[in-house]
Amino acid sequence: MVLHLPEADQKILDNKSLIVKELNRFTNNVLSDNDELRPYETDGLNVYKQKPLAVVLPENTREVSEILKYCYQHNIKVVPRGAGTGLSGGSLPLKDCVLMSMGKFNKILEKDFKNRCVVTQPGVTNLAITQAVQDQGYYYAPDPSSQLACSIGGNIAENSGGVHSLKYGTTTNNVLGVEIVLIDGTILRIGGKHLDSEGYDLLGVFMGSEGLLGVVTEATVKILKKPEAVRAVLIGFNSIEDAGSCVSDVISKGIVPAGMEIMDKPLIIATENYAKAGYPRDVEALLIVEIDGTASEVEAMIQKVLDIAKMNKASYNKASNSDEERMKFWKGRKAAFSACGVISPDYICMDGSIPRNKLADVLGYINQLSKKYNLRVANCFHAGDGNLHPLIMFDSNDPKELKKAEDFGADILKYCVKVGGVLSGEHGIGVEKRELMCEMFNNNDIQQQLSLKKAFDKKNLLNPGKVYPILHRCAEEGRIHIHKGKTKFPDLPRF
Amino acid sequence: MNDIYSPVNEKEVSDFIYECHKDSSPIEIIGNNSKKIGRVIQCSKTLCLEKINGIIEYFPEELYIKVKVGTSLEEIENTLDSKNQTFGFEPMDLGFLYEGKSRGGTIGGVVACNLSGPRRFKIGALRDHLLGFKAINGSGEQIKSGGTVVKNVTGYDLSKLVSGSYGTLCALTEVTLKVLPKYEYQETFCLYGLNHNEAINFFSTAMDTSLEISGACFYPADNTRFFRLNDIKQNNSILSLRVEGPKTSVQERIQQLRKIFGASDYSVLDIFQSKAFWNLSKNLELFKNTNEIVCKLSLPITNASEFLSKFSNDIKYFIDWAGGLIWLSTKDVETISKMRIFSVKNNGHLTIYKSDDNYRRTEEFLTCGDTNFKILSSKIKKSFDPNLILNPGKMYAGI
Ligand SMILES: Cc1cc2nc3c(=O)[nH]c(=O)nc-3n(C[C@H](O)[C@H](O)[C@H](O)COP(=O)(O)OP(=O)(O)OC[C@H]3O[C@@H](n4cnc5c(N)ncnc54)[C@H](O)[C@@H]3O)c2cc1C
Repeated sequence: MVLHLPEADQKILDNKSLIVKELNRFTNNVLSDNDELRPYETDGLNVYKQKPLAVVLPENTREVSEILKYCYQHNIKVVPRGAGTGLSGGSLPLKDCVLMSMGKFNKILEKDFKNRCVVTQPGVTNLAITQAVQDQGYYYAPDPSSQLACSIGGNIAENSGGVHSLKYGTTTNNVLGVEIVLIDGTILRIGGKHLDSEGYDLLGVFMGSEGLLGVVTEATVKILKKPEAVRAVLIGFNSIEDAGSCVSDVISKGIVPAGMEIMDKPLIIATENYAKAGYPRDVEALLIVEIDGTASEVEAMIQKVLDIAKMNKASYNKASNSDEERMKFWKGRKAAFSACGVISPDYICMDGSIPRNKLADVLGYINQLSKKYNLRVANCFHAGDGNLHPLIMFDSNDPKELKKAEDFGADILKYCVKVGGVLSGEHGIGVEKRELMCEMFNNNDIQQQLSLKKAFDKKNLLNPGKVYPILHRCAEEGRIHIHKGKTKFPDLPRF
Repeated sequence: MNDIYSPVNEKEVSDFIYECHKDSSPIEIIGNNSKKIGRVIQCSKTLCLEKINGIIEYFPEELYIKVKVGTSLEEIENTLDSKNQTFGFEPMDLGFLYEGKSRGGTIGGVVACNLSGPRRFKIGALRDHLLGFKAINGSGEQIKSGGTVVKNVTGYDLSKLVSGSYGTLCALTEVTLKVLPKYEYQETFCLYGLNHNEAINFFSTAMDTSLEISGACFYPADNTRFFRLNDIKQNNSILSLRVEGPKTSVQERIQQLRKIFGASDYSVLDIFQSKAFWNLSKNLELFKNTNEIVCKLSLPITNASEFLSKFSNDIKYFIDWAGGLIWLSTKDVETISKMRIFSVKNNGHLTIYKSDDNYRRTEEFLTCGDTNFKILSSKIKKSFDPNLILNPGKMYAGI
């Protein structure tokens, strides 16, 4: 697949052996042979592949700082990488870049129960945080399906969420502080074990910045006490509309479930075949609702949810009677991607956010597109917060199919924006949705974001070619702010 | 007094700022001028956003409201109230602090100051509830960011940056905020006669449960007289724990608090008194009409005891956010300097909320111990406002 990436600097490519030698001064872990580079040539969006110039695996903040400073001084691009599970190509290397893998930052530094936080290195996996504190009854709330593998650094860069983000928020709501290194080597500590430092909220703007503003070398994350009781219910519907309106009703009645997920029929069947979670096969949409709180509250809320479901013509329901059973309900949902991997040679997972009440509308449109492109699609939604993940299935052996799948995905996202939503809920823009940014933002909006980027990275060396369009689209579409007949700042680059 | 310009629409704001940008002429931005917060600044022009007002759209079932920035907090809260909804972050009404009476100001001011109430430690700050905005940057350009949905990783999250930026990055014109259904019921469990060390320990015990406490504050004995509520025992220190949710769940959780803390002297505030209590606390009525300097100090919980052992005799204070926040006042400028040093050393933050104009002119408003942070802040300011014309110097001298 041809993907436009920033043009490689021939001088840098020619200087490879010198650069590698220099990098070895800063860290013992430099990889530069073709075979060594291969594992780093792609991430979770594996339709795109590119080997970097070299890979470094620094072991401490000083090494990170020295490497970045060196690259900055020599105009070498740097791409940060966590576990490489990202789904938008955020850690896709560039031919002339140093890929900085944070894999050796794999230690939890402090468990601080008094301040209810954990201080960790960014390469630690999401799940490892919970595992480290669960014996004291605590857990780390954001739970992406990839939590076994993905790193906290990657979570911060993508502002990752999970099925429990509805009640407990995404990464941004659960990180208290970070240590970051800017491209020029400056080390900054932002936030910490206290709340709300005054001054510009660098912590907040760093969340979801896709590795473009700095490299995270440490994070302080909030841990929560496990709820007293948790139960989940499976609810089946004969139409996606009914499932959607059930979700809206639950939310507007003031119930805040811990999680609320919808799967459509193709996905129910695929996951049931794959994970045997015990889902009904004869419903059009399956809703999983999880409630937590005190025991009696959970009982009362489950009942309320079931009443609301009944009013919305639910055809099936089953409540969990043990934690094991509850985990089984989730097992299917969390295996959704793998299940699609079994029924199709390839798939891409889209990630748009829409107003909750547009769920049925958007799904109807996706089904139309599925016919138009003649590609299968299965859908799951973090329904409570309107975040949908259509999984588009295709066969990459047929070169035309990838292009079709990409166009299909782009059409879905454009429609999300059209109905009042956004291009990405939790996977980020990366290279995948870069050129669609103009669907949401005009030239002014994007220029503002680019000038913020410049404040952090004036040479545009850190993860360039990601998030922002490089095909001059918005500018060409002529949406430039015209002021009294004159373009403001005609000398500003229109990227 | 300089000229006050009150545009009525976005375009007028844009044109005005564009002209000022061309002449590098500094502008002070105000809502309805209710908050004397930040450093005193010298500007030849004042931009008042009060007339950019009105509710643009409110979709209770989608849990958001989109308003123009000059809309009063009161109008918005009344609108939400009519649908039994509210802001989760409990915006503070600083009118009591500055003028001795209610004056919530405009929503733009509330957002610019990131004012977040007692529920903050559980539900996030105001900035976590700002879903999107429109604004005019320092070059006079209209910009926007975010949207109306809660999950959004589409470009940098500028909403975070603009909340709490005190009008130094852009003139907000429109904000979209997340709203929540009101809790059906609440009660507050009050414990009496503790000292501050005991209070911090009790907070810790309460927070180490699954009881979902949504307010946790402590007032030392001398500072409780303004709580004129039937079930508050006067002349004692008060530690209060708020529990919210469905009625049966609240009562069950209060029952559990009785089991844990029942050996101490306590009382329970019913829903009406509980609401009144937290309103008085949230709006800083402890410091109503004070002439002292009022500060907000955010600290790691484990540093609060040490801080209070050092300073409690020199300040009037109460603790909020389960030990993470101390609101305090003092006349003594020296004490503030010492507290600033303490806060920097212990990874906390001290902010001056109220002081006389002389102090506001000469001293820092925020407390920043990190030069690199300031350098980056200065670059960020320039990335929005290249000629430094929007509220220049309001947050830090020179930025
Ligand atoms: C099967 C599967 C299921 C998934 N489910 C979910 C889900 O439920 N919810 C969800 O939100 N996501 C999900 N994802 C996406 C992905 O797991 C997340 O985006 C994750 O946060 C990426 O983490 P990573 O460590 O793999 O980062 P990478 O993929 O290595 O990198 C992602 C981005 O982060 C940057 N980055 C990484 N580390 C750092 C650092 N230390 N400093 C600065 N920048 C850094 C990179 O440059 C890149 O832009 C899923 C992915 C897969 C494959």
